[in-house]
Amino acid sequence: MKPFKLRRTVIWALQRLGLVVAAGACTPLAAMAHGAHVQSRTTSAVEIQAAYDSGEPMAAATVQVFAPDDPETPRFTGVTDTAGRFVFVPQQPGDWEVSVRQAGHGDIAVIPVEADGAIAAGFTQSAGLTPLQRGVVLGAVAWGCVGTALFFGRGKR
Amino acid sequence: MFRSTTQSLHGLLFRPIMSRLSLLFRIASAMPLLALLACSPESTPPVEPAEPTAETAPSDDQAAGQLTIRANGEDFVRQGFVTKDDWQVTFDHVYVTLAEVTAYQSDPPFDAEAGGQPQAQQMVNLDAPMTVDLAEGGDDADPILIATVEAPAGRYNALSWQMQPAATGPAEGQTIWLEGTAAKADETIAFVVKLDPTLQFVCGDFVGDNRKGILEAADQADLEATFHFDHLFGDGEAAPDDDINTGALGFEPLAAIATDGSLEVDMAELEAQLTPEDYTALINILPSLGHVGEGHCDETILTNS
Repeated sequence: MKPFKLRRTVIWALQRLGLVVAAGACTPLAAMAHGAHVQSRTTSAVEIQAAYDSGEPMAAATVQVFAPDDPETPRFTGVTDTAGRFVFVPQQPGDWEVSVRQAGHGDIAVIPVEADGAIAAGFTQSAGLTPLQRGVVLGAVAWGCVGTALFFGRGKR
Repeated sequence: MFRSTTQSLHGLLFRPIMSRLSLLFRIASAMPLLALLACSPESTPPVEPAEPTAETAPSDDQAAGQLTIRANGEDFVRQGFVTKDDWQVTFDHVYVTLAEVTAYQSDPPFDAEAGGQPQAQQMVNLDAPMTVDLAEGGDDADPILIATVEAPAGRYNALSWQMQPAATGPAEGQTIWLEGTAAKADETIAFVVKLDPTLQFVCGDFVGDNRKGILEAADQADLEATFHFDHLFGDGEAAPDDDINTGALGFEPLAAIATDGSLEVDMAELEAQLTPEDYTALINILPSLGHVGEGHCDETILTNS
C-alpha cells in the first residue's frame, strides 16, 4: 500500500511544481535572489532491511553501498533507521553490494539491478540462520518500479 | 428570441475560444516543467554499460597476484576480555588447526545464510593442514599468517576451511586448544581446554572496515578466517540479555569443575563433568566460532569424537 501512496505524492508534486515554476518565470529576476529551486523525479529505489535473527531490527547500523564498478570505495554510506531500513538509488545496472554492520556483526547483500533500475527477477535474499548466530537478515525489498521522489533543493544567495 | 440568439452566439463564439485559451494556459503552465525535466541531467538517469564481472579472471600467468590468507582471533584473544559472568580471561595460547583452506571467485556471490557451496570460477586451495596460535604476538599483533600463494587475479568473495585435530605439534590430537588464565575477585584459574571436533566453515565475502579478496594482477590481496571466541564466553561489555550473552556458555561452568585453581580437560572430560545442558551448549557454540570478519559462515560439525 505504501508505494502506491508514495507514487500519488510524486505525481502531485510534479503538477504543483509546474505551476510554481510558471509563476516564477513571470517574476522579475531581482525577486529570485533568494529563491530556492526544487526538482523532483521518479526513479527506482532499493530498500534493504537489516535485523538480527531474533527479529530485532538493526537500528542505526552502519551501511556502505558499493557500486558494481568499484567494490572498494562505497558509493553511498549512512545508517539504518529505527526499523533497520536503508534506501538507495542504484545508478547503473550490475551487482550492488550493501554492507550492514553493527557491534561486531554484519553481512553483505549482493543485489542484482537490471538496466531499468529494477531488481533482477527471481532475486531473493533468504535467511537460514542458526540460533547461535546474531546474523543479519538483509531483506531485499524488491520494490521494482516503486516510485520514489528525490527532491533536490538549493538555496540561492 | 433576441436573448436566445445572444446566448447562442455566446455559445458559438466565446465558449470555444475560452476553452482553447484554457487549454493553452494549461499547456503553457506545464511547459517550464517539461523543459526543466527535458534539460535536467537527472531527468533521464544515465544507463551505463554493465562492467565485465571480476569473477571472470584471466587464466594466463600474467594475470596473477599474491593472495595472503590469515587467521584472526581478534582482540578477545590477543588482549583478553571479561566474560559474560565477569571472569577476566587472558590467553597464553589459542591453537587452531585449519585444513583444506580454499578461496573462491564465486559467481554468483556465495550467500552463507542460504548455504550450499560457492560456484567457483577460480579457486585456490591450500593442501596441507596448519596449526596456528591465534594468541601469538602482542596486544596489537597482526592476524596470524596462514599462507601466501600465487593466485589468479579477480574477486575472491568466498572462503572455506575445515578445523580438525592436529596430527602433530603442541596441540596434537586437538582441533582447538585454549590455554590461559581466568580471574574473578580473589580466585584465579589456570586452564587448558582441549576440543577435538572436526568442523567445516563455508563463508561468503569478508565483512569489515575494508574490503578484502580483491586481487589485481601483479598485486597483493588478503583474506581472513576470523574466530569469535566471545560466542563461547560471552562479552561482559554487552548487556546480559544481549544475544551474544544469552547464547554463550561463559566461564562459570568451567570454573565449577576446576580443582585447586587448575583445570585441564578434554572433550570426554567436559562431557562427563559439565551438566548436560552446559555440554550441549558448548557443542552447539563451536560451529559458530568461524567468521569472515563480521560476516557469518555456513557451519557444519563433521564429527565430534
